[in-house]
Amino acid sequence: MNQTELLDQFILEARDCLEQVGQRLLEVEKAPTDTELLNDLFRQVHTLKGNCGLFEFKPLERVVHAGEDLLDRVRNGTLSYSNDIADALLEAMDFTVQMIDEIEQHGQINPAADGRSQALANTLRAHLAAKSVTADEGAASNASAASAVAAATATLATASVEPPPWLARIPQSLRDAHPEAIAWHYTPEPECFFKGEDPWLMALRAPALKHLCVGTQQPWPPLGEADCYQCNLDLVGLSDVPLAYLTEHFRYIPEQVEVCELASLAPAPGSVATPAGQEGGTAVHVGTAPASASAPPAGATAGQAAETLQRRALQIWDDQLELLSRSGTVLGTVQAVRATLRHLLEAIGEPGLIHLPYLATLDANASAAVLHQWATQHRPAVARAADALADTSGIGIAGDANAGPGPSMGNDASRRHPGDEGGHQKVLKVGQEKVDRLMDLIGEMVVAKNALPYLAQRAETVFAQRELSREIKAQYAVINRIAEDMQHAIMQVRMLPVGTVFQRFGRLVRDTSRKLGKEVALVIEGEDTEADKNVIEALADPLIHIIRNSLDHGIEPPQARKLAGKPAQGTIRVVARQESDRVVIEIEDDGAGVDPERVRRKAIERELIPEDKAATLSDADAVQLIFLPGFSTAEAISDLSGRGVGMDVVRNAVERINGHVELSSQLGKGTRLRLSLPLSMAVTNVMIIEAGGRRFGVPMDLIVETVRVHADDIHHFKHARTTVLRGRIVPLRALHELLALDDAPTLNDEGEHAVLVMRLGGENVGLLVDQFHGATDIILKPLEGVLAGLTGFAGTALMGDGSVLMVLNPKELV
Amino acid sequence: MGIRYLKKYAALEDIVTVEDAEALFGWLKQQAKPAVNLSKCVHVHAAVLQVLLMVRPQVHGDVTQPWLAHALNAPTNQP
Repeated sequence: MNQTELLDQFILEARDCLEQVGQRLLEVEKAPTDTELLNDLFRQVHTLKGNCGLFEFKPLERVVHAGEDLLDRVRNGTLSYSNDIADALLEAMDFTVQMIDEIEQHGQINPAADGRSQALANTLRAHLAAKSVTADEGAASNASAASAVAAATATLATASVEPPPWLARIPQSLRDAHPEAIAWHYTPEPECFFKGEDPWLMALRAPALKHLCVGTQQPWPPLGEADCYQCNLDLVGLSDVPLAYLTEHFRYIPEQVEVCELASLAPAPGSVATPAGQEGGTAVHVGTAPASASAPPAGATAGQAAETLQRRALQIWDDQLELLSRSGTVLGTVQAVRATLRHLLEAIGEPGLIHLPYLATLDANASAAVLHQWATQHRPAVARAADALADTSGIGIAGDANAGPGPSMGNDASRRHPGDEGGHQKVLKVGQEKVDRLMDLIGEMVVAKNALPYLAQRAETVFAQRELSREIKAQYAVINRIAEDMQHAIMQVRMLPVGTVFQRFGRLVRDTSRKLGKEVALVIEGEDTEADKNVIEALADPLIHIIRNSLDHGIEPPQARKLAGKPAQGTIRVVARQESDRVVIEIEDDGAGVDPERVRRKAIERELIPEDKAATLSDADAVQLIFLPGFSTAEAISDLSGRGVGMDVVRNAVERINGHVELSSQLGKGTRLRLSLPLSMAVTNVMIIEAGGRRFGVPMDLIVETVRVHADDIHHFKHARTTVLRGRIVPLRALHELLALDDAPTLNDEGEHAVLVMRLGGENVGLLVDQFHGATDIILKPLEGVLAGLTGFAGTALMGDGSVLMVLNPKELV
Repeated sequence: MGIRYLKKYAALEDIVTVEDAEALFGWLKQQAKPAVNLSKCVHVHAAVLQVLLMVRPQVHGDVTQPWLAHALNAPTNQP
């Protein structure tokens, strides 16, 4: 996996994580004591931090890290979750989302973001310091925090190979019992108490503490002169954990801590003591150490160490086997493996030594297969620790990154068998564009498939091959079935639960209601309802608009609600469900509702409709006026709503994806908006009509009926034409005129016009055409490039015979 | 809880914070036979620990925290 792929993966996962984190944050706010939730939240943030660590995204990592620390404290119960913390965390999350966006676009973070990241991290850490039960780590809140955090990833100063004098303060027996432990020496600066640090607590909290003793930096002055706020402590401890953990623990004060890896004190030939913090899991080489390095250990602890050693040696042995079994192993690798095996046998002592002579007898140029066979046969048995006790003391395994001579030996992935992951991976993460491409391809396939019936027809009529024609048709039936199944399957892949859009609402409602001083509960139902990805995406903005409107105009302030006899807390209910081939989303609030009188007045004020017309509207119809462009009832413009871009934007957005909006409202009781959307936009059902010798498509969902009207039944009034259908007047328009075609609408033999009756904006309109040609499913491609400005057409589709069908957009046209 | 100064000893209870260090130091210096009780103590701040190490008062009761006990029992003035 190269760097870009890794980055893509990172972005994908980070987005997933952030989505989860956002949701959890809100849930945790409702149930701050739910440890399960908190743990989950912490895990997500932790994963995110770990992922950030893979790349050099310092500003990002800093913020995430601070968030993680804060959550850790909350999780441990040392800090109680409050609204302030939630705000800080949410803000940090927003920032993280921005950063991820930026990384996705530019592949890096703008250095300007550094300042903000610093500020956010400090805010988070301020919570840590301010509310913590004990005052440790308080240093983070003061000015030095910036530099301290920036240095957080710097490795602690590792002591030289010579054992430092302070090591003597740790008893020898303890040092022997934990051969891989790390001794550390912490000398707090004299002024540290004024920075809110508690060196004692810091030391106590060191991970896997095995020993801790306190000394002084200077001898104690006479009591009379002593200053109890000048830190004179000097702490020495022993932690049996990898260096990285200690580095993490002392990340704020790396300059005050000196560490010494006990394992590195016994230097082995060919092995270099590297701080294990940076290179992860590359231990391929075993360094053997002379047994004289330390005194023979006593007791069961040494036995444990020996056992660990054996276990690890066997692990490495298996890794070598793995390496050998891979194809294309070069000679250098084989020899390196051989050397490693020899070292391993020496290292594990008695059970291994008996195999050593055999290894020597193997041909020096033995192939990988031969060595593999040998290694499998002579894999040392797991000996009890006691057997090897005497031989193993003082042998350390050094994590040595330099030792892998084979090009891929240091690669962590080499340990895994290529086929291993197959069993437990159930979810594939696929980029959207790949699925979109599949969708495009299947679209073309459908079109290509539709050419077969034409071919069959030609075979019969032009070449008089009835037999061939029938066979082509049979083949067509098969291909048709497969193509339809395939199309269906791909559509399923593109289906997303509407919940992905709903997730953002929690945050929106929370933030907005707090800003407005209202109490609002959000109830979401049916978030599992699925719809096409494009539909879902197109839905996001209108829905947010609607919810904002509900919050701003719908739900009243708590006092007003109480006066009206309603509970102080308002409810916004978002329900999604599937109704046949459409998704219905209802947004309902129990707020003030829309006042028809006020809407009428405003509409007249803003000159959206004439006064006399407003008076004739029923209340239910008057309420619909809010969908008119430029309508706003808000007296004052807030940053939430009231700029006059409101419900008309919502309606346009929904209608663009072939959906429609209905609004019903009861004054004082609440408002309900009902959005009805198609499940998928991939396939459009159109009716083909003919006008002026050309064929056009009309979206099926707009068509009410097709009728034939006798020319005599058409009434002309100036330029307008109307007819009466089922007792109602229907205005008529000729498609020829709308498209500026030269011909006039033709009549059939009985002197009748073909009229396509469509429902546009709640009214029926008749379209005069020449001919109807039946319905068909097409894949609608929007107009692109120079044609994009033609609003009269919704798009084009390729027909089976290779011709292009222009699909009309009657809403714009008529 | 902090520190309760009794007739014969100072009782250090729960978490003893950095603010308490100075008062404790002053009090201990005045005592002829300085003594503290750490049996109810959960944590002392490093500054308090330092005071205890400087003054070396007699310790009443069991010290519940193992590392604290270890630190108080060990001989001081090591390099």
